[in-house]
Amino acid sequence: MGMKLLVVILLFGTGLGLLPMENSVRNERLRLKYGGARVTFELREAIGQNLAIALLAGLRGVVADFLWIQSHGFWEKKEWLRQYRDMEVVVTLQPQSILFWDLGSWHMAWNIGYAALTDPQNRTRAEGIKREREWHEKARDFLARGIQNVPNHYDLYFYMGWLYYEKLNNDCDEPPCRDALCRAAEYFRKAASFPDAPQYVARMYPRALEKCGDLVAAYAEWKRLWFQDHTKVEQLWSVIEREIKQLENRLNIPNDQRVFPRGTS
Amino acid sequence: MTEIAVGAAPLSRERVGFSLNRVGVIAANTLTEAVRQKVFNFFLIIGLVFIGSASFFAQFTFGEQMKFIKDTCLGVISVISTLIAIVGTAQLLPNEVENRTIYTILAKPVRRFEFLLGKFLGSLFLLGVSILAMSLLFGAVLFIKEQGMIRELHEQYGQNLPAAEVADMNQQIQEVTRSAFDVDLVKALLAETAKATLVAAITLLISTFSTSLVFNVIVPFMIFVAGMLRGAAAEVWGGHKLLMALLAVVPDFGLFSIADEINLGNPVPWGHIGEVIAYGLVRTLIIVIAAHLIFSRREI
Repeated sequence: MGMKLLVVILLFGTGLGLLPMENSVRNERLRLKYGGARVTFELREAIGQNLAIALLAGLRGVVADFLWIQSHGFWEKKEWLRQYRDMEVVVTLQPQSILFWDLGSWHMAWNIGYAALTDPQNRTRAEGIKREREWHEKARDFLARGIQNVPNHYDLYFYMGWLYYEKLNNDCDEPPCRDALCRAAEYFRKAASFPDAPQYVARMYPRALEKCGDLVAAYAEWKRLWFQDHTKVEQLWSVIEREIKQLENRLNIPNDQRVFPRGTS
Repeated sequence: MTEIAVGAAPLSRERVGFSLNRVGVIAANTLTEAVRQKVFNFFLIIGLVFIGSASFFAQFTFGEQMKFIKDTCLGVISVISTLIAIVGTAQLLPNEVENRTIYTILAKPVRRFEFLLGKFLGSLFLLGVSILAMSLLFGAVLFIKEQGMIRELHEQYGQNLPAAEVADMNQQIQEVTRSAFDVDLVKALLAETAKATLVAAITLLISTFSTSLVFNVIVPFMIFVAGMLRGAAAEVWGGHKLLMALLAVVPDFGLFSIADEINLGNPVPWGHIGEVIAYGLVRTLIIVIAAHLIFSRREI
């Protein structure tokens, strides 16, 4: 009896003694923003009982993947609203996943948006356009939440810029809808400021500036890119050269101030 | 166990010192016996089949495929290693008692602690072998997928590329390789090993006072489930000090779940992993001591 009591005291005592260590690890996780939404009744209702058990067993990633694959199935069956619902649950489970925010917004803005535009049930073309724009707005809000959750990577800033550049400009590059292209430039600038951003991200910033109408800023940015060390930075230098030449002509830059003066190769 | 008997002097147990050699022999025998068990092979084969089939996520983007493969494989390693830890350890002591081999061993100059430790280490070797086998296959799946994706990229870009496009392609190839062989995956495997070790220790503790195999399997499993829920309990009942103090006896298994964060590309510092592993080892040590205290007084 004495030994059993000793064992119980040993187990409880060390359990209590380890509480500060457990709290330290939990706090570190909170600081690093690990995990996702807590398993609430609403979440359990949304994902079903079996997946909720898997979630509680620590298989959060597997559950999120399963729901993502399921949402992919809804996409193939053109069940957009079900797909949207699953995507929302997935990003609730793994809000740190760039992939889910990126692909989710892409589905909304490109695939679902186009399906809404061309839906035969639309009474008029205008209704289709209106519904498409609603999905563009949903994609923008979705990505904005993604950026709030994953602010330290270039990816979502770039995708937001791309969304403004390609979809939210309402197929127009004149004021006032040009504002969308200026917003795109801002997001591309932010994305390009990350050291691990690929080379095309840096090129999208001056391109969007140009479309936004700020040719001077675009020219300055292309020049900044050009004057980087060509031996250390990988870039499509021929593209940058072409853009600089094109802008120098459009801006009528005096020959002696040009990066590529006329008459040279 | 005959190696122990050969040349052993008829000393009383009190006069026999602790011997790592005897522990090693018992551990090696335990591993041999465990590897021959059908249930171990069944779980291991199931695990290997699941991991191998993870490479069939073919119709998704490159990023999706890599994430699905890693999530699935690490999930399978987590589940199978936990099951092997429970089932492999649960039958160690009951089998020895049922087959009466424990009498033969303990009649020799072998301390009970040596016997218990040898059994536990044998169980850990079994876990190590299982996790290593699954990890190697996981690595092979990633390698095959990586090579397939690089081949696809080469096909997409074609031959005789201008220098600029070569740079673009190389950047994408580097991205594929970096994504496939993330060194941080080792951290996830270490955390899973620490978790399985703790589960094995709990099962050993239960089996020191219970002779029922079913009980030895179900109770550690329930403790594991309770341990997985401790994090959620701490969030909900964090204010109830007494309740949390009572729950402290159950290890928080949720602390070992870092595979998701690694797959998402979140930074997982070595210091954090070290703290989690240290937590697991301290818990394991205490539980093995508790198991020894019970087993040393148990009437066999």
